[in-house]
Amino acid sequence: MGDRIHVAGKSDPTALSRTTRIRLRRARIAVQLICLALFLWLFRITEYTGADTIPWAVNLWFRLDPLVAASVTLATRTVVTLLWPALIVIAVTWVLGRVFCGWVCPLGTLIDLWGRVVQPGKPRAASFRFLKYAILILVLVASMFTMQLTGFFDPFSLLVRGMTFSIDPVIHFLVTGMFDWIYLNGPVWLSGVTEPVYDFLKAVVLPYAQQLFFLSMMSFLLLAAVFFLELAGPRFWCRNLCPLGALLALVAKVSPFKRIPQKVCSDCDLCRSACLMDAVDSHGRVRTEECTLCLDCLVFCPRDITTFRFTGPRSAPGMDIRRRQVLAAGLAGAALPVLTWTNAVSSLPDHRVIRPPGALPETDFLAACVRCGACMKVCLNNALQPLFLEQGVAPMFTPVLVPRLGYCEFNCTLCIQVCPTRALQPLDLAEKQAFVMGMARFDKNRCIPYADQTPCLVCEEHCPVHDKAIKLETVEIHDRTGQVVQLKLPYVVTQRCIGCGICEHVCPVQGPAGVRVESRSEVMDESYYSY
Amino acid sequence: MDRRSFLKQVTLWSAGLLTVPPVFDFTGNLAGAQLPDVSDIFVAKGKDIPAMVRHLVDAMGGMQQFVSAGDTVVIKPNIGWDRSVAQGANTHPDVVTSLASLALEAGAGKILVFDRPCNEKRRCYQNSGIKPALDAMKDRRVVCEYMDDRKFVPVKIKNGRSLREWSFYRDALAADCYINVPVAKHHGSAGLTLGLKNAMGVIGGHRGRLHMDLSPRIADLNLVIRPDLTLVDATRILLRNGPSGGSLSDVKIMDTLVAGTDPVAVDAWATTLFDLKPGDIRSTVEAFERGLGRMDLSECRIQISDV
Repeated sequence: MGDRIHVAGKSDPTALSRTTRIRLRRARIAVQLICLALFLWLFRITEYTGADTIPWAVNLWFRLDPLVAASVTLATRTVVTLLWPALIVIAVTWVLGRVFCGWVCPLGTLIDLWGRVVQPGKPRAASFRFLKYAILILVLVASMFTMQLTGFFDPFSLLVRGMTFSIDPVIHFLVTGMFDWIYLNGPVWLSGVTEPVYDFLKAVVLPYAQQLFFLSMMSFLLLAAVFFLELAGPRFWCRNLCPLGALLALVAKVSPFKRIPQKVCSDCDLCRSACLMDAVDSHGRVRTEECTLCLDCLVFCPRDITTFRFTGPRSAPGMDIRRRQVLAAGLAGAALPVLTWTNAVSSLPDHRVIRPPGALPETDFLAACVRCGACMKVCLNNALQPLFLEQGVAPMFTPVLVPRLGYCEFNCTLCIQVCPTRALQPLDLAEKQAFVMGMARFDKNRCIPYADQTPCLVCEEHCPVHDKAIKLETVEIHDRTGQVVQLKLPYVVTQRCIGCGICEHVCPVQGPAGVRVESRSEVMDESYYSY
Repeated sequence: MDRRSFLKQVTLWSAGLLTVPPVFDFTGNLAGAQLPDVSDIFVAKGKDIPAMVRHLVDAMGGMQQFVSAGDTVVIKPNIGWDRSVAQGANTHPDVVTSLASLALEAGAGKILVFDRPCNEKRRCYQNSGIKPALDAMKDRRVVCEYMDDRKFVPVKIKNGRSLREWSFYRDALAADCYINVPVAKHHGSAGLTLGLKNAMGVIGGHRGRLHMDLSPRIADLNLVIRPDLTLVDATRILLRNGPSGGSLSDVKIMDTLVAGTDPVAVDAWATTLFDLKPGDIRSTVEAFERGLGRMDLSECRIQISDV
């Protein structure tokens, strides 16, 4: 940045040297890139790798997320101890300000990288900052009424979901598509070259298997919107919309660590015009709660006088949200839950909504699940899928088992292990194997032995429950030509079925299976079987 | 069609010189095939699995009877289920590693071990103990990999009675030596699953669709898959709730291995371990009717030895 201008009387004996300034800013970028790499690595290892337990997973980011901690605590009225790392982020923010946004957040880093591509102009004069506070208030007030909206706005939910449902499958599809095409159609010498490369990519970069998800387009568009908004100004999402940023801003407001000078110099406007976070207001005052300590101003200051120092929690000028806006957001947060309670689905739950193992009872589950997508990412049979509007708007993106796509593996507890909020309760393997997700029911109009008087029994073979939840009964029937034949007919032992869905998954009937799993919400209702 | 011309077709197909996937026909050379005068069945009883395997293979004339230097050997265990060794749903890993060692001693160039599991494949390979055991051999010639979806080729089964065409795994068809190593266990629809049924692990497609006429189709698959050696693992057998099992209460310790070159005879003898007669298992009968081997044990020479 330009030449250094030394002005007598303004120099500070404790001022940082030019090299230190540049190094500090580079350190910030390095930390950002390391955190992004950590995020991507955790995302990649959120997968079965041969061990029954995953020591580290992408859920770390949700456990660090105070917005998740706050909304889950409010909505479930319990303290989820798993979320304790969020306190670290709160403490660090209280001491140092929004370093999390500027140094750590992987979405922020990706937006910064994207910003280098799209080169957004200076922040516009018009500010939408009140929106992030309004979203925060909406989310937290709705949480008080047990409605969980965090997943729609939380930066990590948006990012992990978008990557899981759309970006990762797309990359995998394109890469494997290319290598497979060469393997199947190219000359042998060429695949001799490409296959080792492919093996390497499979071992290091690619997910183990191609995953397919419902709502891939939708998740992509939501994430893409965050990046698209960058055209309206740098870090548009972070400044104006991110409710986690808003929460951290509220804490940073009382942080004693401040940018010095706290007011811009009378003869220089750079701090105001060059700050990417637009953290200097029209009166020339530095808004501590908007500053992400990116340290750009250490470098672009032509006088080298900018620095950061503990000055005590001096109260800064007012908030960027007006009282009326607070009230409106709060009212909306209170009204939306009522709309979900009065939706007809509350008295007619969809019998195909089969929750993963360990899931809390439906109402508590919806309050605790932050729609992060980690369980669906880790599911080794690609069986967990995001719900769309089947149960109304609020449960969108929550996980359901879709047996026709994949079944719940009997010896696997990975989804439980990666759930950051205990929406899936911790179960050991024996408890998980006894956990009732749903129940299989035969459709005798479709099941082959019943409908076609033909042997089949693939479902019985695969049933993993001991002593089989699907049993066979051998009957003598008059077949349709009048002959007496023996036939084995399958039936469900209702007390034993856990609803893992393997029977429905392997059923050879084309189209809807001859045996289908129905959700626990109906099954658990005792009147359901009392006829 | 012999293996050589088959491989030629695969190469042409892989090179894109054939635009339509070729349909392979392996059944022509069966018609002239004659059963030997007598079918030998070798049984070993004991606790020391490697010694039992070695004893059986030696009794059959040594591994060099089956494997020549540089050969590609396929060892096909049952790795169908995400179950532990003790639960008896998969072939015992020691049987597999013992066979692999013997094949290496005989000079095998490459040993491929694979199966197409019913549960998630990584979990099955891992928890069956087979992949960890083979990896622990630390020999680059021994390869325990998951099956590659791109390697299934359509095969026409000319004299199949219930199944006229199905896709098979290329490596299984192209092997110089194919060793079938099933585990003996109960099976809800087939009665028992032994050597013949184990061929289901090297085929593609939706296998559930075979179940409408399962036993004849198992026999038809064995018109294509002709193991050079079958060794049935009956060290422990599942008496009930097969093929997936899951409870030790269904497992009976038998400490027995059965081997032979006649796949039908080996299955027929193994059936007796379950107090059943060979004729009770329909796939055995169907295979016998297709001329794949003997099922009348009185026509077989049975050698039982304690190891």
